[in-house]
Amino acid sequence: MREKKGLHFLKRRGIIEIIGISTVVVIWQLVASFIVKKTYLLPSPYEVFFAFYTVREVIPIDIYISLLHFGIGLGAGTAVGITLGALMGGFKLVDRAMDPIMEILRAIPPIAWIPFAIIWLKLTHYSAGFVVFVGAIFPILINTYTGFKSVDKIYIDAAKVLGCKKGMSLIKSVVLPYSLPYIAAGTRIGMGIGWMCVVAAEMFGASGRVGLGWRLWNRFYALHMMDKLVAYMIIIGLIALLLDRVFRYFVEETTLKWRKGMVAA
Amino acid sequence: MNHQLELRNVTKAFNTEEGKMGALEGISLVVKPKEFLCIIGPSGCGKTTLLRLIAGLDYPSSGEIILDGKEVKGPSPDRGMVFQEFSLFPWRTVLKNVEFGLEIKGMKDKARKELAERYIELVGLKGFENCYPYELSGGMKQRVAIARALATEPAILLMDEPFGSVDAQTRNILQEELLEIWKRTKKTILFVTHSVDEAVYLADRVAVMSARPGCLIKCLSIDIPRPRKRTSVEVNEFREQLLMLLSLERSKACISV
Ligand SMILES: Nc1ncnc2c1ncn2[C@@H]1O[C@H](COP(=O)(O)OP(=O)(O)OP(=O)(O)O)[C@@H](O)[C@H]1O
Ligand SMILES: [Mg+2]
Repeated sequence: MREKKGLHFLKRRGIIEIIGISTVVVIWQLVASFIVKKTYLLPSPYEVFFAFYTVREVIPIDIYISLLHFGIGLGAGTAVGITLGALMGGFKLVDRAMDPIMEILRAIPPIAWIPFAIIWLKLTHYSAGFVVFVGAIFPILINTYTGFKSVDKIYIDAAKVLGCKKGMSLIKSVVLPYSLPYIAAGTRIGMGIGWMCVVAAEMFGASGRVGLGWRLWNRFYALHMMDKLVAYMIIIGLIALLLDRVFRYFVEETTLKWRKGMVAA
Repeated sequence: MNHQLELRNVTKAFNTEEGKMGALEGISLVVKPKEFLCIIGPSGCGKTTLLRLIAGLDYPSSGEIILDGKEVKGPSPDRGMVFQEFSLFPWRTVLKNVEFGLEIKGMKDKARKELAERYIELVGLKGFENCYPYELSGGMKQRVAIARALATEPAILLMDEPFGSVDAQTRNILQEELLEIWKRTKKTILFVTHSVDEAVYLADRVAVMSARPGCLIKCLSIDIPRPRKRTSVEVNEFREQLLMLLSLERSKACISV
């Protein structure tokens, strides 16, 4: 189909996207400054921009701390999730023994663990990390389990005929590589949930007076500095986006070349 | 060790929801070392089942499978198998697929790579070493599977309709390559096929199976010297014989239904 010549430049990469974002920002600015007219109810983009500037000194340390909490939780969640998922996927007995417990634990929202996180781990980085762990572990566990369960029998047979004896070597050379896309997809979901948990746990002060979530709630909200609050919301969102992109890039370009698009959105 | 394979009254029944279902019945067969044996029979007659039993991936319900005087108790790299369906590991490149069995053996990196490359060249896929299976055509995949099965240097090669998914032209080429490999590597080959032409062109001996539950109805020695001409009179005679055996079998199956 032929398009009108005048609209042709729109096809170039990024143009439409920039127009989309700018439109939203302009409407937001107009609504904020001509209709709402109260920073408390709706800070304008202009004010938010300045808020970034005024809080610029605490942003890096807050990001660092939150990423630390996230890293602790995701690291533990990945390690334990893959191990348990593999055990449950590999051994019927373990599966039957653990399944009911896992189903119940999984149904409890991670946020509900914040009190125990604080009581068990005190106000350390580990306690926010623990909440992230609870949030991230289940998607990773379940996906690993699914991957282990769905290995095509033909690959197992092929490996056996080529000399792979039962057990560890079969898991290492067939089941694990087969399950990698599943594990990656689970990890990606776990990362999304884990990042929400970081913010929530920090809001409750699970790790003391640190982190993006803590400042957002206990400083900006408590003091009604809504412009700064919005600035932090944007930071939190951008980091989530960035984490996801980096993960996808890493996984798809390096480990999963053989199965393009498997972990794509 | 002369790698003589012997099947003694092998029977296989599967447990299904409708009860026991016979797949193989009283198969007795001696395969001589370095023999090229084709197995032919109607779809569902138990050809794949038979190869799986010999490979050690499954066990007979009764009877025994003897290799070198010992009963087959499980899979081993001395019996390579090329599966009917695609069985390449999709997460490994062509080279890594062929190296798989050698890795399990614990062969060193360099020797492993060299050997794998040799077999890749043998099946005519030089230059595709670093491709992933999804980048290959059906016929190429089967050739990699053959290279992978050959790489561990099994004495017996079990091939389950390996050329089922390729066009006639490629099929002819692959058949010739296989005969070449067979001559050079001196293996025993058990080759399952649907195709009478293929069986007559390749085999020293053709085993004809009946419809389910499969039993051997005839073993036919194809004593035509190689290289065979696909259209020669003798070839045609054998072809006719086999077709007749199979069509008899089919009408018998119809009567018994
Ligand atoms: N694991 C199994 N469980 C139950 N029945 C099975 C199983 N494997 C095979 N069968 C049955 O055994 C019979 C023989 O199957 P097999 O796959 O050996 O046939 P085949 O001769 O290889 O057929 P084709 O030429 O179509 O590949 C079939 O009727 C099939 O339904
Ligand atoms: Mg079959």
